[in-house]
Amino acid sequence: MTRECSVLLPRVCAALADPRQPGSDDTCLEKLLDWFRLLAKFDPSVELLQNNPCLAEFITAVLALPEPSPSILSFTLRLAGILAALENRFQHLQQEQLLVRLFGRDGPLNSMLWKDASVRSGWVHGVHSMMHHQPALHLLCHTGGLDVIFSLQGDPSLFVASAANQLLVDMLILSVETEMTKPASTKDCDWPACAQMIIKHIEDSLQSSSASHIEQSLKLLTSLFGSCRAPWTEVLWLGVAKQIESFLMEETVQAQHMLANLLLKMAWSPVFCDSEGSFWTLVASALEHLTPVQAGPLAVGLLKLYKCPQDVRIQALTVLLQPMDCILRAASQPLEYAGLLDESVGDPITVEGLLSSKSSCASLLCQTLAHLEELLSQSRFQVDLPCASLLHSLMTILQLCNGLLSPASALGSTIGRVLINCFRVQSSALDVLAALSDRKGCDTLIESLFDVLLAYLDSPNTSPTVLKKAFQATSKWLVRLQELSCSNTQRQQAEKILEDVFLVLQKRLCSPCWEVRDSSLEFLTDLIKCLRDQEEFRQSLLSSEVPRLTENLLEDPESYVRASAVTAMGHLAFITYFAPESPVLGNQYNKENTVAKLQEILSTDPEGFPRRAVISIFTEWLSQGCTGPLEDTGQFVSRVIQTVEHDLDWEVRLGGLELIQDFCHQTFCQLGLPECPDDPVSSAVTGSIHGSESLRIFCRAKLFRFLFRSLCDCDKTLGQRACHILLNLSNNFYPLGTPKDLDKTVDLPAGCSIAWLERTLRQGSLAQNFPTDGVDFEDPESMMLALGTIDLLQLYDELNKSSDHVEKSPQSLLQDILATVGTMEENEADCY
Amino acid sequence: LVCVCLCPGAGQDVGRSCILVSIAGKNVMLDCGMHMGYNDDRRFPDFSYITQNGRLTDFLDCVIISHFHLDHCGALPYFSEMVGYDGPIYMTHPTKAICPILLEDYRKITVDKKGEINFFTSQMIKDCMKKVVAVHLHQTVQVDEELEIKAYYAGHVLGAAMFQIKVGCESVVYTGDYNMTPDRHLGAAWIDKCRPDLLISESTYATTIRDSKRCRERDFLKKVHETVERGGKVLIPVFALGRAQELCILLETFWERMNLKAPIYFSTGLTEKANHYYKLFITWTNQKIRKTFVQRNMFEFKHIKAFDRAFADNPGPMVVFATPGMLHAGQSLQIFKKWAGNEKNMVIMPGYCVQGTVGHKILSGQRKLEMEGRQILEVKMQVEYMSFSAHADAKGIMQLIRQAEPRNVLLVHGEAKKMEFLKQKIEQEFHVNCYMPANGETTTIFTNPSIPVDISLGLLKRETAIGLLPDVKKPQLMHGTLIMKDNSFRLVSPEQALKELGLAEHQLRFTCRLHIQDPRKEHETVLRVYNHLKGVLKDYSVQHLPDGSITVESILIQATAHSEDQGTKVLLVSWTYQDEELGSYLTSLLKKGLPPSTS
Repeated sequence: MTRECSVLLPRVCAALADPRQPGSDDTCLEKLLDWFRLLAKFDPSVELLQNNPCLAEFITAVLALPEPSPSILSFTLRLAGILAALENRFQHLQQEQLLVRLFGRDGPLNSMLWKDASVRSGWVHGVHSMMHHQPALHLLCHTGGLDVIFSLQGDPSLFVASAANQLLVDMLILSVETEMTKPASTKDCDWPACAQMIIKHIEDSLQSSSASHIEQSLKLLTSLFGSCRAPWTEVLWLGVAKQIESFLMEETVQAQHMLANLLLKMAWSPVFCDSEGSFWTLVASALEHLTPVQAGPLAVGLLKLYKCPQDVRIQALTVLLQPMDCILRAASQPLEYAGLLDESVGDPITVEGLLSSKSSCASLLCQTLAHLEELLSQSRFQVDLPCASLLHSLMTILQLCNGLLSPASALGSTIGRVLINCFRVQSSALDVLAALSDRKGCDTLIESLFDVLLAYLDSPNTSPTVLKKAFQATSKWLVRLQELSCSNTQRQQAEKILEDVFLVLQKRLCSPCWEVRDSSLEFLTDLIKCLRDQEEFRQSLLSSEVPRLTENLLEDPESYVRASAVTAMGHLAFITYFAPESPVLGNQYNKENTVAKLQEILSTDPEGFPRRAVISIFTEWLSQGCTGPLEDTGQFVSRVIQTVEHDLDWEVRLGGLELIQDFCHQTFCQLGLPECPDDPVSSAVTGSIHGSESLRIFCRAKLFRFLFRSLCDCDKTLGQRACHILLNLSNNFYPLGTPKDLDKTVDLPAGCSIAWLERTLRQGSLAQNFPTDGVDFEDPESMMLALGTIDLLQLYDELNKSSDHVEKSPQSLLQDILATVGTMEENEADCY
Repeated sequence: LVCVCLCPGAGQDVGRSCILVSIAGKNVMLDCGMHMGYNDDRRFPDFSYITQNGRLTDFLDCVIISHFHLDHCGALPYFSEMVGYDGPIYMTHPTKAICPILLEDYRKITVDKKGEINFFTSQMIKDCMKKVVAVHLHQTVQVDEELEIKAYYAGHVLGAAMFQIKVGCESVVYTGDYNMTPDRHLGAAWIDKCRPDLLISESTYATTIRDSKRCRERDFLKKVHETVERGGKVLIPVFALGRAQELCILLETFWERMNLKAPIYFSTGLTEKANHYYKLFITWTNQKIRKTFVQRNMFEFKHIKAFDRAFADNPGPMVVFATPGMLHAGQSLQIFKKWAGNEKNMVIMPGYCVQGTVGHKILSGQRKLEMEGRQILEVKMQVEYMSFSAHADAKGIMQLIRQAEPRNVLLVHGEAKKMEFLKQKIEQEFHVNCYMPANGETTTIFTNPSIPVDISLGLLKRETAIGLLPDVKKPQLMHGTLIMKDNSFRLVSPEQALKELGLAEHQLRFTCRLHIQDPRKEHETVLRVYNHLKGVLKDYSVQHLPDGSITVESILIQATAHSEDQGTKVLLVSWTYQDEELGSYLTSLLKKGLPPSTS
């Protein structure tokens, strides 16, 4: 704690404990606790309390208040807990019985204030914070605190209930791990007193007839097995296993989803998953007895588990695939398709029932699809899925959803009626479809898959969100299609599909809905990024109307769309005039035209998004070497920088700095300077020659004025970036070992413009307006001097500090609390 | 009907909204706000409480955003793009248009601070906005087959709406922030008498009866005018949208009227766009603005011009609106640093400032501020706080309750102590339950849903044929079979029910054995019984059938000799449920024995 803070703290404590003062802002108290948490952590000694007696005095003062405000009382409880987390500080506070008075029977828990949720919350959190040693444990157990926590498990406040639950878990672990004398065994288990009480509470609750008590205990066990992997947890489990098994079989208690969660947490614990027999039998029986909706999360969790036994895995997979199988069977002619599962596996009646009911069909399918997507996107441990059948089933669902399929079977037509126009199922199915594109074995269906996708892209009934997902899936599968099209027939097929896609895209680019136009442009950009090397793709795209329509959208009324159009145009350039074997296109694709258009957007568009898009496209062009020889690039960069220098949007200016950074890097690379890692042969001699050459280039491109000016920008991120670039330049022009003028304190003449620049920069953002004259930013010598003289490193450290680092300091917080007391009441109520 | 407020922190807390409502099996999230006072996870609601396991998208049926203030929508991109909610989001058209501006504005402030992680990007804001479905006022939007929502005008800010959420016959109204008195550019909130089961109302000014806004406006203009007159400069830190436009209209009109010459500047690059939206959504503003629109658009300012950084050093008086509103970074802070040392100047803070910002410091009276690099900035300029926020006060809240006539009221967004007073007042005046749960506290409200039942025309005709015409005031009892199918109820005649369900009718017959002393042959006994009944039951059709049994209406009587005692005859009497009365009469008649034989 700094000296200033230790001076302020007593006054803050006195102010907080003063009942005449109106309550402090909640966020202030929270931040104060954050600070104490840090202090307590980094100073694990009793000195914190000894050096700041005001803390204990504050607690005493609050305890003495006849009616403290709930927020101050809650704060006090939490503060005491944080301080008492260390045993010797606990003892120090207990010298005056402060902790007993706060957390014991005669404390707040028996006062009227207990009704206030914030006080109960403060009590639980306070107890939780100090629960790191035996004395704290005993204090609670001996003063009846455990019963309070048991009752708080059912608190009307979710926050309090959940905190109480977690507290019990941690107390149980602490008790067993610090107080148990011999390892736990099933035959003769001598639990320590506190653990014994908690375990008995769990057992009693599980046997009670109250559903909420059972739920609380199941939650407690779930967090316990989720966080503690010690062998004793198995002993505890064996005591309750029978009871829990009975919940599964009898279904008298409606806690199935919790049981699933509990079993899943256990399956992830080495204590249980390595065990032979009984546990896995229980899991298998759960998969069998739970409804498909309840069993889904358990199944997907098990499938992600490496150590899951094979038979359980199969069972879990069956749970997930059953709805998909059922759809497939219901929608196809008898014997036409084999389905995903053997008929002998599982009992489809339940799933069929759920799928044919309006209320459960969509939710079961959405959940199943989400789980399948989760499995498919898992890269670490791939689950073997019957991809072709899965794809077939997905296509069936999508066709049912948009009415393209009307199955003959009774079940099929019922499902069809339920699913028609169901957006939720459509989006989930499209997500899985996209994820499935990485898997092998689905290629035979690819043609009919595109029929389905194109139908979605084309249909006026497709909602904008579904359309976006359809675009995403299409783009992934188009990449897959290109990978596959090696034979002639396949190539023709691919060409046909591409043609169709661009036809639909043309239509969508003209949609009255901006979301659709935007998603279409994003789709186009995505396609160009992935497929720009494919000849067929380029041909199809350029022979369609898509490029023209994209250009039109540069003038869209919606700024988001204009921005996406800019990005798409920028990428289109890669396959038109920037492509090495650029197709002959006539004047339709004129480079100068596009650049001029984008430049115009950069200087005139009234909104930030399109301008940001332009600058990032320019940077992309530059980094991919599309801006021509160094001379041209320099002119290009110079033009752009002069446009963005005064932009009102800080991100456009930041984009400008990024462009400069790339330009510098490229210049160094082309001239063979050390900054460039690709160039191993650069000697100091050639370096210095090229160094002055590059400096001239930078000066000619007018980079320096913008760079130095950005150091004083009121948006700090810009200052940081500019300083970073200048530092790099400085390191290049003054390689390691060359003396910078910095080391010897150069006495620049007072009138020298660089001295003035340096002074200006030192004043930081308090600086006057940045000079437009005085310093010649295009003169290489002045700039060389500036780079050598100005202490950029120190400036960088300064800029690197958060813009609110002063305000965020504890001292500022304490000052604010002191200043606020009594003044802020009205302001507080007025929100933004 | 269950309702829980998910804002972090256990007490009732002013600001930031996120309420979860479960109504008739549907789960709806109302607002998705952020807390500007924190830089870590605490700024967003803790969504893990919504569903302990399982996916958010499966659990929630929709998200509704009431207006564009960040304490109501600031966590939305985080929720939809980072936490992974992928379902529908609803807001009004202006809110959808303006939301991204404010989110961008805030993102900028946030990324400016170091160590900020877990924050959404520009792309995420866009992706989130693309998922939003925009709604019109008073348009009933069908979220799914059962759930429907409807927006009502709320005043407060451009595009702010109250939402009615309805499932079957149960409904909830969520007010968001609202204002019951029209202000300079917006009208007053209005809702029809929709009698919801629950009205969730904000109660920011639960106990205050606020002085008129006119007073505050006059005060504001006076202070600005005085400063400008004595040659000082006025800085008004604002957020890009909302309050700024209101104050611009105020100054513009005043400058026009007083013929003032001092320049007014608006420093943000966003002004154009903001004003563009006010023009675009002119129908959402109040009547006065709409009326004058034909002659002059209130948002085309003559006196207010764009600001350039260099202007700050110009001599002479001026008024500058600059962002951000809490003086914690950027342009407003830069101008503040330049002008703070001159006592002729003034800074007017028109909104709330969180702890840790320069705005908060100067409002709490601190005059020596430590700046970067240990520099001390002495604040000599005048500091004024002026609240222009447009929330309903206690009177307004009562007025809205009177309009909507809810069965229960739930107060959020207020301080416990102050809310207690309002709660009592509401309970006394309207005789409804009023709740004020703390954050995280679940409130369960029991509703008595009246379940609509369809009745078949045939049955209705038959029942009304009895003579009574339907009358709302006199409920009628109707008999029929209730069929529950596909979540709907229908009352049909039993015959139709059997036909529809393909069931055969079961006949329930009561059977009774009676012993009669009669030594004669069975058929003779039967004949005696027949004659006896024929004599007694003159109005009924009594028949003697060829197989030897007797029928009276549906009642069947057969006689057999007792197996052990030939002198006793056993009469088997059976009747259907419909003829229960006649059946029991007959048995009691026969129990009395037969009259002596006449033959």
